[in-house]
Amino acid sequence: MSDHAEEHAERASAATAVPGTGGRVPLRAPANPVSRKAVALWLFEGVFWSAVLIGGSFLLTRWIDGDRWSWLPGWALGNIWWLPALVTLATLPAAIVEPFWRYAVHRWELSGDVVYARSGWISREWAFVPVSRIQTVDKAQGWFERVLGLATVEIRTASHAGSSTIKGLDYGVAATLAEELARRAEELRDDAT
Amino acid sequence: MSPPLRLSPKVLLTEPIKMLPSLFLPLAGVLFVGGFSPGSFFWAALGVAGSVAYAVVRWATFTYQVVGDRLELTRALVSRSVRTIPLERVRGVDVSNPPLHRLLGIAVLKIDTGAGGEDKQEGELDGVTVAEAERLKAVLLRHARAGAARRTANPETVAETAGPYGQEVSAPVRHAPAERVLFVVPRRWLAYGPLSGAYLLTPFALAAGAVGLAFQWGNELRIDGRFVVGAGEWIWDHPVVLLAALVLLVLAMPVAGGVMYAVFNWDFTLRVREGYLVAERGLLTRRSVSLERRRVRGFELVEGIAERWAGVARAWAVVTGLGDSQTRGQLLPVVPKAKALDVVGEAIGPAISRLRPHPPVARRRRLFRAVFPWLLVALCAGAAALAWSPLWWVPAVAALLLAVLGVPLGLDRYRSLGHAYDGTRLSVRSGSLRRSQAVIEERAVVGWKLTQTPFQRQARVLTVTAGVGAGSGGYSAFDVGEAQGVAFAAEVTPAWLAPFLLNEPQE
Repeated sequence: MSDHAEEHAERASAATAVPGTGGRVPLRAPANPVSRKAVALWLFEGVFWSAVLIGGSFLLTRWIDGDRWSWLPGWALGNIWWLPALVTLATLPAAIVEPFWRYAVHRWELSGDVVYARSGWISREWAFVPVSRIQTVDKAQGWFERVLGLATVEIRTASHAGSSTIKGLDYGVAATLAEELARRAEELRDDAT
Repeated sequence: MSPPLRLSPKVLLTEPIKMLPSLFLPLAGVLFVGGFSPGSFFWAALGVAGSVAYAVVRWATFTYQVVGDRLELTRALVSRSVRTIPLERVRGVDVSNPPLHRLLGIAVLKIDTGAGGEDKQEGELDGVTVAEAERLKAVLLRHARAGAARRTANPETVAETAGPYGQEVSAPVRHAPAERVLFVVPRRWLAYGPLSGAYLLTPFALAAGAVGLAFQWGNELRIDGRFVVGAGEWIWDHPVVLLAALVLLVLAMPVAGGVMYAVFNWDFTLRVREGYLVAERGLLTRRSVSLERRRVRGFELVEGIAERWAGVARAWAVVTGLGDSQTRGQLLPVVPKAKALDVVGEAIGPAISRLRPHPPVARRRRLFRAVFPWLLVALCAGAAALAWSPLWWVPAVAALLLAVLGVPLGLDRYRSLGHAYDGTRLSVRSGSLRRSQAVIEERAVVGWKLTQTPFQRQARVLTVTAGVGAGSGGYSAFDVGEAQGVAFAAEVTPAWLAPFLLNEPQE
């Protein structure tokens, strides 16, 4: 058995003897985009959190400026009002760009009894979860998702690294997907893990 | 069917003693606040009596019973709570004897059900007689195995459970369990212990504990506060003493670490008993962990940098649904690597030694990550030294030194990177200060995750993580070439990735 195994390994290493020459990641994009309304969801989340950060830095600045913290060097105290401006500059554009970028990246597909999902914006993630290994399928809705008629499908296996979360699906799509996954998972249940 | 059983009454002794450390501070507090008046003694006595009464109530209200194919743990006080553990879900039974328990001839029995690693789901019987522990263990494991075999439609698995060890599948259950010792770690190999870096901080922990105790008991013994302050000032005036103490502690590190290691890993024995791998170890607390072989999905071989220099390694089994796998899954303590490979090869399966290297750009990334942060720190500290105080040169030079050390470290990290698939098992390796290689069966993979940061995208590499419902949950190959990484996942589980590949990897 081990002979065969080594042979296999050798053959395989010969096939990929020149690694990384294949260009970009040789995976096609998953078939389905998420709902357009997901952009609104991400926009809301992003703007909310950047507002929290900007507000926080504003308050901190006012505090520092008001009490003249003595242990800070003079140049920092003199220019302290740059802090909220910098935070705004750093977070707000990101919060506005992120949703559109995400909408271009986030896609999902169910075919061949495998869930294939792509997500991320600056960093990317491709997840492959075979239906036969699914343990639970959750359909969740936050309050803002409910307002927009969106839902999140969480697909869990025995491993966090083999699990996947698809955000920003239309509620109907999410319900159908969750239903379909649960039904197929029941049929295909494989106890090897 | 057996009647409901209670724990050994000896727990009435162990339980309050177990609670003593947590009672100690409040008790001492009550005594001090009360100024050792009769009233405060009364309250302290009440506290002790309360803990004893609590232990009695807990003992009296708790029963366990094997009913048909399940174990029921019942706690009936005002309400009745029953925890039911189906025997077929039992994945391992772990019997240990802490020193006090050993003195009294009782044991702690832990039942591993592998319920998603949630401790709440596991059963624990703290304080059954040793004989009862052995009996129960035998019962639980027998039922578990019988249930598993019944459920398994696949005859191969049954054969695998019992086949290779000359045991009949239909062996009568009353037989003494056939067992075979795979390996007993010779005592002289305990000397390798300190190389693993385990328990090295023991002297500092002990010193801190001693100081803390001195403060507690110092008060108790009515040592004057001024004396303590005086002693502190004296030490402050004689920094040589402090330095000497520090040097002594540092020198004691390998010794104390070695002693602790020896205490925990004394006579480490690995056995095969029916369908189980049984690892037993320890001098004071003798600990035995049974791992169901049917659930073993691979292993992990770990070598620290000092261990690699000495040619030794440690091994862990990767077992599905094993909680606390870091301590319980240990298959071998520090032993020579060749021996480790031998034993693991016999217990689980051969290692995969031929790993595919990752693209050269990964070397650049490893170097950058090992050197750049320290270089940045050195630059900042250097700038601070020029701007403010020459004292900043100390961290600047230290950071620069670390940056220089980062060069061999980064190169070695790159050398460690590798992945392979041999037709049934995949393997990934990474790390330098702690290099670990995992060998996992293909059937244990429950999914894949490929991730790529912007820097990785620029370098045209990505990280491939195989999700595994065992061990640490995921095993990653870092900085694999983009095509290489996808090809790796597609090679291990072709059916899962085939629909999504852009172009078939060229044969």
